[in-house]
Amino acid sequence: MNKRAAMLSGRAGWASFGYALIAAVIVFAIAIANPLPADDGAAESQGADSQGADSQGADSQGADSQVARSGAAPDLCAMQVRDFARPETHRCGDGEETVAAVALNATGEMRPSQATAGTLLFRSGSGRDGIPAPLLDTDVVIRVSGMVARAQVRQTFRNPYNDWHEGIYVFPLPENAAVDRLKMRIGERVVEGAIRERVQAKKEYEQARQNGQRAALLEQERPNIFTSSVANTGPREDIVIEIEYQQALRYDSGRFSLRFPMVVAPRYIPGNALPSPSHAIDVARAELIHGEEGASPDPTVGRGWARNTNQVPDASRITPPVQRPEDGALNPVSIRVELDAGMPVARVVSSYHAINQRKVDERSQVIELRSGVTPANRDFALHWEPVKGTAPRTAWFTEKRGDATYGLLMVMPPAAEKRVKRIPREVIFVIDTSGSMSGTSIEQARLALQLAIERIDRKDRFNVIEFNSNARKLFPDALPADSDNREVARRWVGNLQAQGGTEMARALDLALDGQTHPDRVRQVVFLTDAAVGNEEPLLAMLSERLGDSRLFTVGIGSAPNGYFMTKAAQVGRGTFTYIGNVEEVQEKMGELFGKLESPVLKNLRIDWPRDAVVETWPARIPDLYVGEPIVVTAALSPGAAGERARGDARVSGLRGDEQWESKVSVQRDTGSEGVAALWARDKIDALMDAKLDGADGEQTRELVTAVALEHRLVTKYTSLVAVDRTPARPKSEGMRSSTIPTNLPAGWNYDAVFGSAIAGELPQGATDSRFNLLLGGVLLLAGLMLLAAQRSAGRMSAARVRAQVRVGPVLASRGRLVSTSSRWTLSL
Amino acid sequence: MDAFALKRRALTVAAVVLLVCGAWQTGQGAYIHVKAQLAQVLIQRAWHRTLAGEREVRPWPWADTWPVARLVMAEPDVDVFVLAGANGRTLAFGPGHRFGTPLPGEGGNSVVGGHRDTHLAFLRDVHTGAVARVQRQDGAWTSYRVEGTRILDKRDTWVMANDGASRLTLVTCYPFDALRAGGPLRYVVLASAL
Repeated sequence: MNKRAAMLSGRAGWASFGYALIAAVIVFAIAIANPLPADDGAAESQGADSQGADSQGADSQGADSQVARSGAAPDLCAMQVRDFARPETHRCGDGEETVAAVALNATGEMRPSQATAGTLLFRSGSGRDGIPAPLLDTDVVIRVSGMVARAQVRQTFRNPYNDWHEGIYVFPLPENAAVDRLKMRIGERVVEGAIRERVQAKKEYEQARQNGQRAALLEQERPNIFTSSVANTGPREDIVIEIEYQQALRYDSGRFSLRFPMVVAPRYIPGNALPSPSHAIDVARAELIHGEEGASPDPTVGRGWARNTNQVPDASRITPPVQRPEDGALNPVSIRVELDAGMPVARVVSSYHAINQRKVDERSQVIELRSGVTPANRDFALHWEPVKGTAPRTAWFTEKRGDATYGLLMVMPPAAEKRVKRIPREVIFVIDTSGSMSGTSIEQARLALQLAIERIDRKDRFNVIEFNSNARKLFPDALPADSDNREVARRWVGNLQAQGGTEMARALDLALDGQTHPDRVRQVVFLTDAAVGNEEPLLAMLSERLGDSRLFTVGIGSAPNGYFMTKAAQVGRGTFTYIGNVEEVQEKMGELFGKLESPVLKNLRIDWPRDAVVETWPARIPDLYVGEPIVVTAALSPGAAGERARGDARVSGLRGDEQWESKVSVQRDTGSEGVAALWARDKIDALMDAKLDGADGEQTRELVTAVALEHRLVTKYTSLVAVDRTPARPKSEGMRSSTIPTNLPAGWNYDAVFGSAIAGELPQGATDSRFNLLLGGVLLLAGLMLLAAQRSAGRMSAARVRAQVRVGPVLASRGRLVSTSSRWTLSL
Repeated sequence: MDAFALKRRALTVAAVVLLVCGAWQTGQGAYIHVKAQLAQVLIQRAWHRTLAGEREVRPWPWADTWPVARLVMAEPDVDVFVLAGANGRTLAFGPGHRFGTPLPGEGGNSVVGGHRDTHLAFLRDVHTGAVARVQRQDGAWTSYRVEGTRILDKRDTWVMANDGASRLTLVTCYPFDALRAGGPLRYVVLASAL
């Protein structure tokens, strides 16, 4: 009895020795898997005692994953998120996971690789380079009323660290957003933002930043790219900024659409790097920025991954760091749309996100994301259709501001009644095959193009151009669309691969000839995600070389550049459409073809009641394709506002050789808030367009600034800035400054963008082979020692046991899970 | 089953799991090197066919790359084939030519990337003045003289800029002895055509 007890305790001793050994091995493995970057010593020691809250994803099964708010439970797992290795190098079967729990208890760390498929982790913005950034949550509320939307975007900058932080976030908004409000919330207090000239706003922000005052700055980089900066977020403090904008909605083919972009896709930056001693990267490297050092007031200096070039002089401002998708998702967004369509709604469709709808009445609904939050990695697109027969043919909204009255007029022309004489067409398809298209985008583009080629009338002519770092034509000249040529083209398109840069200018050069073609209609269909930083030079080139061709843009992928899509279509006198997944290709291309094949409505003009109007934008109404309404904003003369009651506006145009005319009453005053902002936004848009066509830059700046200051709009030349009066940060304490990393757009291929686009990064040249060999050796050694220990324990017990052990190790091989359920029989 | 048997069993399971994981990791590490060496043999065949006039010869049927140049050095002793494309998939089989830059031997700045622990491990022994010879697809040879080496951040893409001068730029990861892949530093060898 005694002997047996002694034996048992002996065995127990061996066993605990074994467990301790395993734990030690795993801790060691984790330690070598996570080496401290040698050049980052200061940051790391700083990070080690700061309690960076790793965000937690709710563990959920299946595809319909539940998502937890970043940092919702920061204390569950307080750690500094460092360099995350690729998951596959760590997945080591069930064995490691259970044992890793020991390591978790011992060291307080949790491996992100334990996340199983279907789990969505939002984590702290610490990038590969180990610079901790504040976390960012976004909550969006969009109130739709008829044709207009008012949106509030709440960005919460969360500082989970024990020191002071400045966060800089580069994010997108709709390209036609009239951003007119910024509020900063610190706890209960609210600081209202003021509109300033950009340089002045930056100065005020900078001053506050150095004084230790909390401050927020909102700048515009492109009509659809904005930067928010929030300074002096205290230890473990949240600062909320609320951005508001007004937007006219798209109404096309009987459908209203609302698009909310969530991520600025990595942009291709052409051109040669500008020499700049104070470049962003150096600024970013000087991590700990003390009060007396300041950022440059130069509006072209940013901290992105790209350097400024001669073609994109502000490249460093529009290229925020991008997190590798396998390192988890960032920046959760919640969206709530309060829809008042103004007429009975037949159906509401969200193209890319699952939604919950709550009907208020037949024309009103509340729409929210089914998952609660979603990572900011693709556009949110919502469409709704009026019940048949209730679709509006005309609309008129007004807002009084001071003396002036502003109006928004919409007129939907009727569909063409008879077919007009057919004119021969020449269609040039241009497909973007750059690295950014790699992944799902190129599949959508190929499919769309093949469908389009099928659809061309055999009496028409066509050609295909692909472009990445270079551009090439399929045929030297456009050829008739007979079945042979179409087959050649279909096969050629099917083999296209996406890699390399986005030298779009070369494609435009091949596609446009600057000529007029009296004998035919020349249409250029441009399939791209327009992930480029040089929109302005491209648009200027387009305007110059267009001739009488028409350009139709097809925005591909999860985060197309809406500014380029709409503006290129406008300059190119065509129209635009979006394709965000393969299922949409058929329908969207069908609609586009409807437009290509139907005659346009041109020579459009509006005759306002006498003396009623001062300014209408756009000044020249563009040609309309089938399904498109006329939408203009107008400022009415103050004197005439009273007498205007007598007037009808007369809208007329020419379709083929058929005259069309319609009268709209513009008597009512509807008191619709936000129309003035839309008018100002349209005016600014027109002024910026004039600059593309060669208007003086300085003069444009002055004109735009005047309108923007009057209407409190954020533009390229004006910013909103909010400063809290009392200093918060003591002079003795420094502040860290960092750019918040963004997600890679859904469906994109990281390596195709940063591994092969010229402007991305130098090629990566290393494997994990050393690590694999070392870890493998250590594990083998540990296993053998354990077996040896087992054996000697077995000898002590003097019993030979035939153990049948059933193991189902899950071996991760090259990222794919291979499950082997073999039986291991061991004779010990 | 008594506690004793359970413990034995747990120990055995743990040992087996450790051994399996160890074998898998070791295999993984060895596989990278075996693949790297074996691929070059197949690529050599593809290169001979390329020299004979074929274009875009895929070394194995499902390859998405093909040899575009041969790189030879006397000191250190090097003879490798450069593949089209410098993405991760290609670099497992050989150094890769960066898409969008001129092909080696064609004038302009040709950029070639590779792994510091396989094909471009030799770069740490390359010194200023060394001569690298590159054979083009048409068989012609160009010689480059190493002008210097630099340790750069991965964002320092200026070394890839094309100023028209005929150059060869070889890029690999740095430091050479780092255990894991994915660091921010790059080791760059700059060479000019003779």
